[in-house]
Amino acid sequence: MAEQQAPVVMMEEIVSLEYTTLATDVGIRFMDCLIEGRIIGHKSKQSGLVYVPPKGYCLMTGSPTTADDEVEVSDHGVVTGFTIIEPIQYPGQEETERYVQAQVLLDGASSALGLCRIQDIPFEEVRAGLRVKAVWRPPEDRQQTIVDSWGGRAISSCIQHWVPSGEPDADPASIAKNMY
Amino acid sequence: MADILDLPRDVAIVAFSQVPSVAQETRTEAQMLVESINGVLEQSGIDRREIGFTVSGSCDYLTGATFTFVQMLEATAAWPPISESHVEADGAWAFYEGWVRLLHGDIDSVLVYASGKSSLGNQQEVMSLWLDPYYLETLGVDMFSYAGLQAQAVLNAGKGKESEWAEIAGRSRRDALSNPNAQVRGEVDPAELLREDYLRGPLRPHACPPVSDSAAAMLITTAEKAAKLGVEPVYVRGIDHRADPHYFGVRDLSVSESARIAGEKAAAKAGFGPGDVDVAELAAMYPHEEQILVDALGLGDGVRLNPSGGALAANPVMVTGLLRIGEAYNAIRSGSARRALAHAQSGPCLQQNLVCLLEGGNG
Amino acid sequence: MDRPSENFTLALKYKRTLGPVVGAFLTGLRDGRLVGIKTAEGRVLCPPLEYDPANGQRTGELVDLPDNGTVESWSWVSEPQRKHPLERPFAFATIRIDGADSALVHAVDAGSRDVMAAGLRVKAQYAEERTGRMRDLECFVPIA
Repeated sequence: MAEQQAPVVMMEEIVSLEYTTLATDVGIRFMDCLIEGRIIGHKSKQSGLVYVPPKGYCLMTGSPTTADDEVEVSDHGVVTGFTIIEPIQYPGQEETERYVQAQVLLDGASSALGLCRIQDIPFEEVRAGLRVKAVWRPPEDRQQTIVDSWGGRAISSCIQHWVPSGEPDADPASIAKNMY
Repeated sequence: MADILDLPRDVAIVAFSQVPSVAQETRTEAQMLVESINGVLEQSGIDRREIGFTVSGSCDYLTGATFTFVQMLEATAAWPPISESHVEADGAWAFYEGWVRLLHGDIDSVLVYASGKSSLGNQQEVMSLWLDPYYLETLGVDMFSYAGLQAQAVLNAGKGKESEWAEIAGRSRRDALSNPNAQVRGEVDPAELLREDYLRGPLRPHACPPVSDSAAAMLITTAEKAAKLGVEPVYVRGIDHRADPHYFGVRDLSVSESARIAGEKAAAKAGFGPGDVDVAELAAMYPHEEQILVDALGLGDGVRLNPSGGALAANPVMVTGLLRIGEAYNAIRSGSARRALAHAQSGPCLQQNLVCLLEGGNG
Repeated sequence: MDRPSENFTLALKYKRTLGPVVGAFLTGLRDGRLVGIKTAEGRVLCPPLEYDPANGQRTGELVDLPDNGTVESWSWVSEPQRKHPLERPFAFATIRIDGADSALVHAVDAGSRDVMAAGLRVKAQYAEERTGRMRDLECFVPIA
């Protein structure tokens, strides 16, 4: 009876692995400051560039940075790039409405923060050069999280979104020599 | 021995730097690499912009992140953009690519680096994923189990004993006492080790490698560039790697044909063989692997095995093989060896073996 | 203070085509029989491979093999892990199926490590529900 079945030609498999992500010293410090409502970075002595979040090294010179190189940057900045997202309803998707994700270069930083959600502005008016400011979550709502390389989750666990600050647009030349 | 194969130019290791192997490193891999890479830049005095080619080894499965080698490139300060490559394999294979690249003749220096943080995943299961996904991986054969199959094959063939494995583990831990970068070290009584319960019979915990995190970097150059830098070269006289069939049911697990052939081919380039070295650094993760390799490479009593403690004392997956080349280099630089052999492996049950023969500048 | 950490699971789903050789072996397992393949020299490989590992030549005719075999090497698992084929202590083993010249890697449900020996005669035990996977062969058991 079994012999009458079709030959086996395909195989399905789910490969499943379990991992732990461990906070780094640099990440723990960045997170602790965020919980206090402050955004810090590391300023490289060699290049003068300010990395937010700090990485513990300078990407342009390869030199290490430490707590001695810590600087605080502003929670105001400028949109350097953005995208308007139409959420597709795949499994696990939590978004249902259109929204804007932007890269924001904070005043005092040389590297832009990714995945900043921009609100309180019509989609068609979002633009590079737009000045924005952070809308912080209430202190009791700020959650400890692991700081990944780009810091996106840590930022969004403490900052709800970003809104236009009302300041005049930035001069494009002022954002040209930074890192995105 | 066959005639010496002429290589178009001499290639030398001129600097090597590693971060200590630990059970759990709290820095990122990029941070570890910043330290390692800066170490070789300082040792050699080379400006990073002079480096002709950069090649690295790592594996995304260890940490469960994607394209991590791109992030790790940050440690090289890759601006203006550099010429680089990556192997999803032990850094010893990155070293091999760097060596081949130097033979091309258009560049004079290569930066090789590797990193691995096995502590963040389940290493036993991760190492099951390099098995074929039809017959082996779907059975859940973990790394200690397939090593145990090979260990039992060595016992069955009368080529090793459990008491000898405890002696080898004891020697590794004793040697590791003088290696500040090793992880498992100490004076132990082999008889005591034999009282441990089996992890995967016939392997007891002492006969299995630790889970380790580490990173290492190396600078290799042409002989001319080494002279210009004013650093003492350790020449790569011969290197080769060979693979056995993957499915271990078709192999005699008590021998390693691929290691034997790799040793012969490396010797044909070097003009001296594995038996002619003073020190051999073998990437043997288990004592029975050391016995198989000693046999396959023909290493006699005059060859000092794994003075660093070897992979039983620290096994940062993806770095272990490059560490062997680095430790063989260290042995020559420190004067404890004139000629040294370094070995690296990949795949289950010593499937793939790389043999590298090194010689000091006055050799 | 404990360093903050987060756990996550990475799960990736794959569909693999099997081809005429691996497919034939897994079809055999589903149907409750072992299949090998003949090399150009007339050696029999079980499980079958598309090529002869000794020389790289294409293998040829598929052959049916009996359910019995002989243990060559083994590794005793006293504490089975979540991905292992059996939940009780067992051995992973290389098993030479009668009539084959290579060994099959699978589990042996021997009860005790002391039972395991080179030359131990074992017999395939199939799972009740079979879908064309290695685990259709539940394990091997010693022949009393």
